[in-house]
Amino acid sequence: MQPMPTTKLKQLFTQYKILALLIAIAIIWSFFSWKTEGGFISARNLSNLMRQMSVTGVVACGMAFVIISGEIDLSVGSLLGLLGGVAAVLDVNHHMPLPVTVAAVLACGLALGLVNGYLTAYKGIPSFIVGLGGMLAYRGIVLGVTDGVTVAPVSEAMVQVGQGYLSTELGVTLGVALFALAAVLTWRQRLNLGRHGLPVPPVWRDGVRLAAIGAVLFAFVRTLNSYEGIPLPVLLLLVLLGAFSYVATQTVFGRRIYAVGSNMEATRLSGVNVQAVKLWIFGIMGLMCALAGLVNTARLAAGSPSAGTSGELDAIAACFIGGTSMRGGSGTVYGALIGALVMASLDNGMSMLDVDTYWQMIVKGCILTLAVWVDVATRSSRR
Amino acid sequence: MSAYLLEMKGIVKKFGGVPALDGIDLQVRPGECIGLCGENGAGKSTLMKVLSAVYPHGTWDGEILMDGQPLRAQSIRESEAAGIVIIHQELMLVPELSVTENLFLGNEITLPGGRMDYPAMNRRAETLLKELKLNDVNVVLPVMNYGGGHQQLIEIAKALNKNARLLILDEPSSSLTASEIEVLLEIIRGLKAKGVACVYISHKLDEVEAICDTIVVIRDGKHIATTPMRQMDVRQIISQMVGREMNQLYPKLERTQGEVIFEARNVVCYDTEKPDRRKVDNVSFTLRRGEILGIAGLVGAGRTELVSALFGAYNGRSEAEVWLNGEKIDTRTPIKAIRAGLALVPEDRKQHGIIRDLDVGQNITLSVLGRYARFTRIDREAELKTVSEEIARLGLKTASPFLPITSLSGGNQQKAVLSKMLLTRPKVLILDEPTRGVDVGAKYEIYKLMLELASQGVSIIMVSSELAEVLGVSDRVLVMGEGQLRGDFINRDLTQEMLLSAALDHS
Repeated sequence: MQPMPTTKLKQLFTQYKILALLIAIAIIWSFFSWKTEGGFISARNLSNLMRQMSVTGVVACGMAFVIISGEIDLSVGSLLGLLGGVAAVLDVNHHMPLPVTVAAVLACGLALGLVNGYLTAYKGIPSFIVGLGGMLAYRGIVLGVTDGVTVAPVSEAMVQVGQGYLSTELGVTLGVALFALAAVLTWRQRLNLGRHGLPVPPVWRDGVRLAAIGAVLFAFVRTLNSYEGIPLPVLLLLVLLGAFSYVATQTVFGRRIYAVGSNMEATRLSGVNVQAVKLWIFGIMGLMCALAGLVNTARLAAGSPSAGTSGELDAIAACFIGGTSMRGGSGTVYGALIGALVMASLDNGMSMLDVDTYWQMIVKGCILTLAVWVDVATRSSRR
Repeated sequence: MSAYLLEMKGIVKKFGGVPALDGIDLQVRPGECIGLCGENGAGKSTLMKVLSAVYPHGTWDGEILMDGQPLRAQSIRESEAAGIVIIHQELMLVPELSVTENLFLGNEITLPGGRMDYPAMNRRAETLLKELKLNDVNVVLPVMNYGGGHQQLIEIAKALNKNARLLILDEPSSSLTASEIEVLLEIIRGLKAKGVACVYISHKLDEVEAICDTIVVIRDGKHIATTPMRQMDVRQIISQMVGREMNQLYPKLERTQGEVIFEARNVVCYDTEKPDRRKVDNVSFTLRRGEILGIAGLVGAGRTELVSALFGAYNGRSEAEVWLNGEKIDTRTPIKAIRAGLALVPEDRKQHGIIRDLDVGQNITLSVLGRYARFTRIDREAELKTVSEEIARLGLKTASPFLPITSLSGGNQQKAVLSKMLLTRPKVLILDEPTRGVDVGAKYEIYKLMLELASQGVSIIMVSSELAEVLGVSDRVLVMGEGQLRGDFINRDLTQEMLLSAALDHS
């Protein structure tokens, strides 16, 4: 077959899905900057934007694993609301020290996540139904725990979790460290490829890649430092991105997540305990809900009974925009986070432009559908 | 005008360049019943899918004439309009709908405004069922209230409701009891008297003998013979079906067998839909160290269910007592079975073998991934070393272990699945149709590997529908039929005819 220019372009996007996403973000950001006369890309707004996406981003990390394993969890919005509410109640009503509150909320999150996982993996209830049930039940518990009123004001220590910043010096150190890490990983990958007699990409290509990573890191740290510094929730998101990417690509558990999502029966016949894998995926999802709930309560400085409403849809949308496959078996955590950034950028930009809420919803809905269509269209060429 | 109702001339159907049908001719007269015979995979079903336009006109070469006129059906609907109706091996009824609704599915009698005319449909349904002497069926009850036998007859009523002039019955009796089969044959005789022609496909040659006027045998997609039934007997049909000469398709390796190390006792598998029906009925057998045991039988004989149950992978209720090296072992889940020293390479490679989204190397190491874990992190170096060794050992043809598994040919995918299960170092290796969809060269390599493993003391159970393969590599052959063990033969002077007779219970 003669590779036509369009198919070549298609191949490029299939191979580097992230490219299409970055281009989409560039377009969205340019559009909003032009419309807001640069207000959108001011340091203050970008800092704000990233803090806004942190809650969805944390949930999206966990959701990426759930969707890659071929399941779905609709309960996360209510669960993060519940856990955020528990955090507020412990902090405001019982004056617990922050570490105790955090530990208790994380434990609750893990436990409830494991319940979801147990019902799905061992009792065979479809995760869609478990999630739907949880969505109602957990929201009900939040309303009960908070008596339907906002729990405020939370302690100063707690507020720091959501609204604190990393000092400028630490921010720079972090940026340099991340760049060094990227350089070391690239170098090691080249060594490994060479050792196994595999084609090593040309030096310039890795160089360009590394330069791009450096530029993004530099811009990221510089922009945030020129405002107040790197927000703590954004730092948390970076840590989670690293941890989840490590688990997904380097560990036995990660490999099994992809295997279970791609072909559960074949994985089971290979002697993998597929039920345990699913149980822990949901356990991790619960932990992420706990973190997201803590950040959300800290950011708002209050526990609201409606917190996290439709948060599950944002997280699921972020995963799909980020190229996670509906049928399971493929997807990346960084993709999900870029998906979350796309959603947060749309929210933030349209709010700045005073676009009516109904238009915001219409635009977000269309973007989600479009993104998945692009994904499906590029995927079919491989089959 | 032609005296034939249907003529098929020089039908060629290729799948990816490989001919599944290679110039088949078939003629059917009104009121004639043709027995279409051939081994599994000979092309019977493909031919009938061409005829009933499951494969539309244009996707195959050749010509179909109905009443002497060319038929170029693009869809099942068009072939049904011409009077050709196929009844598939699996029942195609909607269990929750009533008998009437099923009979008229897709052809409903409607009142103005699209409302269903139930009284008219019920009357017609009752008449149809009366013609088939099904007097005890209430047409307004859901189909699921009736057993497999009745459902099969309801399928026939559905076909007749479409004014079928040529009825294709693909293994219609596989779910019927002996008395139900009698009723079925009686109905077909009645249809013949009315001028309806039939193509009857069945592994049960005594039925074919009882009902068919003409026997058409196909083998490897080629037309072998068309003979009037009165000039033949079952033995002749079998020898025409098998007919293949044994040549050097199978490697030879001198080896000795050890003592009995494995034993399965009283394996029972219950049907997932009808819990009182046994798919595997009390099967017991033993296996020696280094022995290759072939399990032959027809499709639906319960072979896959038997080996799945031994490996804890049968998706229904099953009972089995499994002994290895004199100890009773627990094989109720694949994890336990693997730990005990069993390994299964499943029949359906796409559904149960490969993992599409993982690359070749990741597929191979999935079963033993824990071995490469260093504090949860996978030691990629060690993993790749194993993968490279495995690729070399099995002669797996791939440019790199990082290619998607789906980019490999069927034979190489099978080698990857085989390698995955061999890494667990099994004492008993179960292979279910190990060479299905595998080309001749890779087949030979798989046989060779089996012989080498056996000479190293691994015991192998091989389920296969290819009788030649069973005879080519096995030391001993079990034959199954209708869930039961029908024979246990040492592979010495054993012939395909003997195996087929045992499978058909026609000794």
